[in-house]
Amino acid sequence: MKGSTRKDLTASTCLVILCLTEQQNLLEELAALSTRDRIQAIRDLPMSFKDKKHIRWVSHKQIKMITKSFSSAKQTLKLWQGAMKSIGGKFGTSVLTYFVFLKWLLMFNIFSFLVNFGFVTIPLLVYKGLEILTGAGYFKYTVMYYGSYSNESLVGYNMQLAYFFTIAVYMVLCGISLIFSMAVNFKNNYVLADSASNSAWQLLCTWDFSVTNEKAVKQRRNNLCVQLKESLSETAQQERLTISEKLKHYGINFSCWLLSTSLAFGCAASIYYLCEYEIEEGKTLLVPFVVSLINLVIPLFYSLFNKFEHYSTHRKQIYALLIRNVFLKMSILSVLCYYWMNKVPAKGSGWESMVGQSLYRLVLFDFLFLMLGSFFGEFLSNVIGTKLIPRMGVPEFDVARNVLELIYSQTLAWYEPYEQYIRHFISSSSVSVSLTHNCQPPRRSGRAAQMQTIFIFLLFFPFFVGALSIVAYTAWSLTPSKSCGPFRGLNNSFSAVDVWIDDLKNITGSQWVVEIYNNVIRSEIFYFLITLIILVIIYILWQVTNGRKELIRRLRQQIVNVNLRNKWNLSSLEYIYILFMFLFLFA
Amino acid sequence: MGTTASQLSKESLSEYQELTFLTKQEILLAHKRFTELLEKHEKEQIDARVPIGRIITLPELKSNPFKERICQVFSTSEQKDGSLTFEDFLDLLSAFSDSATLEIKSHYAFRIFDFDDDGTLDCADLEKLVNCLTGETNDAKLSSTEMKQLISNILEESDIDKDGTVNLSEFQHVISRSPDFVSSFKIVL
Repeated sequence: MKGSTRKDLTASTCLVILCLTEQQNLLEELAALSTRDRIQAIRDLPMSFKDKKHIRWVSHKQIKMITKSFSSAKQTLKLWQGAMKSIGGKFGTSVLTYFVFLKWLLMFNIFSFLVNFGFVTIPLLVYKGLEILTGAGYFKYTVMYYGSYSNESLVGYNMQLAYFFTIAVYMVLCGISLIFSMAVNFKNNYVLADSASNSAWQLLCTWDFSVTNEKAVKQRRNNLCVQLKESLSETAQQERLTISEKLKHYGINFSCWLLSTSLAFGCAASIYYLCEYEIEEGKTLLVPFVVSLINLVIPLFYSLFNKFEHYSTHRKQIYALLIRNVFLKMSILSVLCYYWMNKVPAKGSGWESMVGQSLYRLVLFDFLFLMLGSFFGEFLSNVIGTKLIPRMGVPEFDVARNVLELIYSQTLAWYEPYEQYIRHFISSSSVSVSLTHNCQPPRRSGRAAQMQTIFIFLLFFPFFVGALSIVAYTAWSLTPSKSCGPFRGLNNSFSAVDVWIDDLKNITGSQWVVEIYNNVIRSEIFYFLITLIILVIIYILWQVTNGRKELIRRLRQQIVNVNLRNKWNLSSLEYIYILFMFLFLFA
Repeated sequence: MGTTASQLSKESLSEYQELTFLTKQEILLAHKRFTELLEKHEKEQIDARVPIGRIITLPELKSNPFKERICQVFSTSEQKDGSLTFEDFLDLLSAFSDSATLEIKSHYAFRIFDFDDDGTLDCADLEKLVNCLTGETNDAKLSSTEMKQLISNILEESDIDKDGTVNLSEFQHVISRSPDFVSSFKIVL
């Protein structure tokens, strides 16, 4: 309703100064709106300041001050406002998406930290005081470690249930917020965007006005020129490729894919054997070191392969690179999880603490390598590029690669929530510092909004779903060890809920909880029905979209027809007559 | 009701907050930056006008390829010389702010790209637009055949009624399908 009112107003005003009758119409429309709508409508008028002031003065005397106080408060709370402005000024909005994504992740993590800390750690701390922190084997017994909790820790507070429900609720909330952001992003950036959005016109219209650095602007203009020329010649070139050249391109692409997949598998296998070796020899730092090294080196190989390959569009090239990197990281993570889930519980008691320690080491090494990579790696490339081999140039800020690293570290956070927060903050500041000193903006003007969608999609699909399944597997199938963790003594972690339900049966008045539990959550039909309903809804929406596309096509044709008719100054009757003659002659 | 350089009255401030998309802090910052551009004798005038030569020395506009066009579009002077009063300046910042709507931004973008101010984007406007954005050096310029091809591609894509020019509605239609436009059409002090 609000949107259509605004459009009516803009349609009814024109660029030049309003004549009296039009002004009257405008005032009448404004008077019919609520106060807030009225202010928004006035703001949205494409008139000069003087005219808007006049309209406002004439239309009403009792405008109230609204939500400005809220938005002013929000402004002061904006994190990193100055830094982001300078980065956007020099590098443009596509690089800014990396930092926007980073900020989003940080907010996400702060929220999860509050949830976890509030429900699990604080009761324990309050009860035990500082006693726990001074025990022997500092890390093993701190509240940061899963292993130290036990159900006997607190009287009257069921630690098992608290832990279980906290994790469950946190995962569900994560999932929901990810799905929601994905849906909103997808709708804005893919559905509404044209398939021809890579065209020259789009490139021209989306000139980045927020770039203020002189050199950056000059560079952007050069890049734009190159891109325009490329897109013009690409369409011409596509038809001119001979069969043999096409075969050659396909061959190169295929071999590169084969090489990269086998590299990924090789790394995963070697990690697995290394884990076995580590347990036997007791050298616990080897595996994290090798994992981080692989994560650093192999993507560079992938970028190298990418330079040799030919893809029809630049976007496909970026996607290929992304898919390979994702595959590498997923395979390494899955091998590690497989190892932890299967081998370690068989080896000894207190497996939760051991897994926790391995994760901690992994996270620590990942963080160290990231810092080293951003400071020294890019600094070295900068030095080599400018002083030793000037042809190479300053390293570009590879947005895709950096975002993938962020997602990877976020995945590790889902396994072991506590160690992430400080590290997150430090690593983000260090990356931004190294960025400003060492890198230049990416050569291709990025599709900022669509990249944001892809990143969130990546975060959700492989990584979140993977983490969720591992956690679910742990809760359902693995037997908690007898000496550590809050679930000690149970068959599996999920039985904590069973025990609670059994207790509830004895309390009158809570029968409904037991009923819901038995008939809804434990029955398979419920989930089947939900899936069916979701599929039906998706099908309906898809059909509606198709119908609308067809409608748009027909309306466009209609516009062309009307214009042709006007051009030739025909009346509708004459137009139909000529059309029939045409059809008659040629049918 | 005008504004002198020395103070921004509370009433004016609330009025500006309602008429633009800017927040209170942004308006105060704009006022500060604008008064820095004024000469001593202009500071006591009401509704002082800053000529275009001084406006484009602002760091946010200095490197912008459209700086002259932006000043022309937002100027309300009778001589059409691109000079801005404080209220014109606020208008400018409001259209380029974070919270401005797509309609306002696309409207002003159209006016900025319309170099001859005739209400439509014809071939001459498009050619000037491309030259503005690609640079003046000889190797960065597009050749005339490339330019013709580019313009015909653009018209084929955006000219829905096939009259050889892009009018405001067609422009807004194209813009609405570009999700990057709102975030790129931004100037923040």
